[in-house]
Amino acid sequence: MKRLWAWGALTIGLLYFFLPLIGMTNFSLKMRRGEYSFDAYVKVLADTRFQDTFTYSVTLALCTILVGVFLVVPTAYWVRLKLPFLRPYIEFVTLLPLVIPAIVVVFGYIRLYNTSSWLPLTGTALGTDILLVAGYTMLALPYMYRAVDTGLRTIDVTTLTEAAQSLGAGWITIIARIILPNVLVAVLSGAFLTFAIVIGEFTMAALLNRPAFGPYMQVLGANRAYEPAALAVIAFAITWGCLGLIQLVSRFQKSAQRPV
Amino acid sequence: MSFLTLTHLQKSFGPTKVVHDFNMAIDKGEFVSFLGPSGCGKTTVLRMIAGFETPTGGEITINGKDQTSLKPNQRNIGMVFQAYALFPNMNVFDNVAFGLKVAGKPKSEIEARVKEMLKLIHLEHLADRYPYQMSGGQQQRVALARALAPAPQVLLLDEPLSALDAKIRVSLREEIRQIQRQLGITTVFVTHDQEEALSISDRIVVMNGGKADQIGTPAEIYNRPTTRFVANFVGTLNVIEAKVVDPAASTVEVGGKLLGVYGSLAGREKGSTIPLAFRPEAGSLLPGVSDTSALNGTVISSHFLGSVVRTKVDIGGSMISYDTFNDPSAAAPVAGQQVSLALTPESLMVLAD
Repeated sequence: MKRLWAWGALTIGLLYFFLPLIGMTNFSLKMRRGEYSFDAYVKVLADTRFQDTFTYSVTLALCTILVGVFLVVPTAYWVRLKLPFLRPYIEFVTLLPLVIPAIVVVFGYIRLYNTSSWLPLTGTALGTDILLVAGYTMLALPYMYRAVDTGLRTIDVTTLTEAAQSLGAGWITIIARIILPNVLVAVLSGAFLTFAIVIGEFTMAALLNRPAFGPYMQVLGANRAYEPAALAVIAFAITWGCLGLIQLVSRFQKSAQRPV
Repeated sequence: MSFLTLTHLQKSFGPTKVVHDFNMAIDKGEFVSFLGPSGCGKTTVLRMIAGFETPTGGEITINGKDQTSLKPNQRNIGMVFQAYALFPNMNVFDNVAFGLKVAGKPKSEIEARVKEMLKLIHLEHLADRYPYQMSGGQQQRVALARALAPAPQVLLLDEPLSALDAKIRVSLREEIRQIQRQLGITTVFVTHDQEEALSISDRIVVMNGGKADQIGTPAEIYNRPTTRFVANFVGTLNVIEAKVVDPAASTVEVGGKLLGVYGSLAGREKGSTIPLAFRPEAGSLLPGVSDTSALNGTVISSHFLGSVVRTKVDIGGSMISYDTFNDPSAAAPVAGQQVSLALTPESLMVLAD
């Protein structure tokens, strides 16, 4: 009887999750009257605004990943090595983006960095892009920090550092050639999550008035019927692709570190 | 002139002083072991030499140059860790080559040196292996080769054998000593295992409570311990009470028998009671009661330990252990048997407290 309830709950859960997706996918394929087709997808993919916004968001995602790696890896490493008592505080700080809404942050940015401020970043496109990357880095911080910190937990950071130091290595060499390669899988996990977050982000990009993929999806959704559904399926595919890659690299790490 | 000199070295962690005024001069090519129980400060001294800990006071010099304020990567000191500490992302070749690459050596020189080091540890055939593909003993040999590759001034070994099983420990410690002799490298070895320290060192520093209790050759440390701590920590020790008879002639009385002891009794009052120590393998245990200077006693138990037979004997209320090599043709002493223990003055030690 218990098993029956379990199967029932699972079925309801799966239907709740998959039915809208199936419905949306089905709808996105019905652009041509009376038959299934990829017309909506072709139209979306051929749209120059799609190409521009997607390229823009991918570029910003890569910049965000780079900034995140440069910020998080040395910080998490240093906290583990020299300041372990700071770990709870650092973890708290990295969790803040989950409780502070993006809209609050972006209004704070606009107020602090507007054209009449001492650092008028919103005055130029490049400055606004820098601001947007900073905002994205903050949004991805909880995921990137946890991924890297978990990776660092799997290696003996202190002893490896001391071994490298005794062989003449300085801090940059240690981070670049010892620490980073040994937490690369964790960094990649964080990077894929960051990529998924940036590709779908709407609030910051819209309020900073930048041509990102999130605002484009919103505009398309407000004006078209089939294309938004196709776009949503594409966005889902990208996100799931990222999750699949995380699984893949995690499996690679497990097989690479198997004991004799 | 000494090669590695530690002068008035001190280290405190907050209010806790872990190394008190440590002084030591090590000659070039010497193999010195720091021996002591956990928390005695031996690893802290080693870490100060390596540069991982900053001394609270004192000075460290190598070849006449002050190293005290230098960073670890500026000291040219090789170190082998208990946990191997091989870089998991690099294979054996790259691990051994790491220090040479950091030093900016040419590729051909790196290749030749790595091959030389791998030949030294007999692991040329495992150059492409990763650390997770090797046993503990193999990993530690690679760690040794890696530490030696940049030709360091001093080699530091921080309990490198502790994580290995008994057989590998013995073979690897012999290998380490042989390589050290071959290269003539000044080496400091930290261990809490007395057998390890006794078997491979030129000199041993027995540490207790952040201080060097005694510094000497393995034979001096074992045969002539100067403090009760050293005597107790290194080997097994019997301690019996003795009464000073003639301080000038170094004679004492135990159970009505007069015994001569090694060393001076100057400063001890005639008639005062002192602890007298001797090793379980010292002297000879003879059957029957003796009316000479041999101490009479009763066998309490006899334990067969393989190569050695350990006999517990009650001598005037003091329980002592006597070890003799196993002789299959001789009967082991039995409980209740009357015996006498003959001790030479050289085997009897008067310990300072």
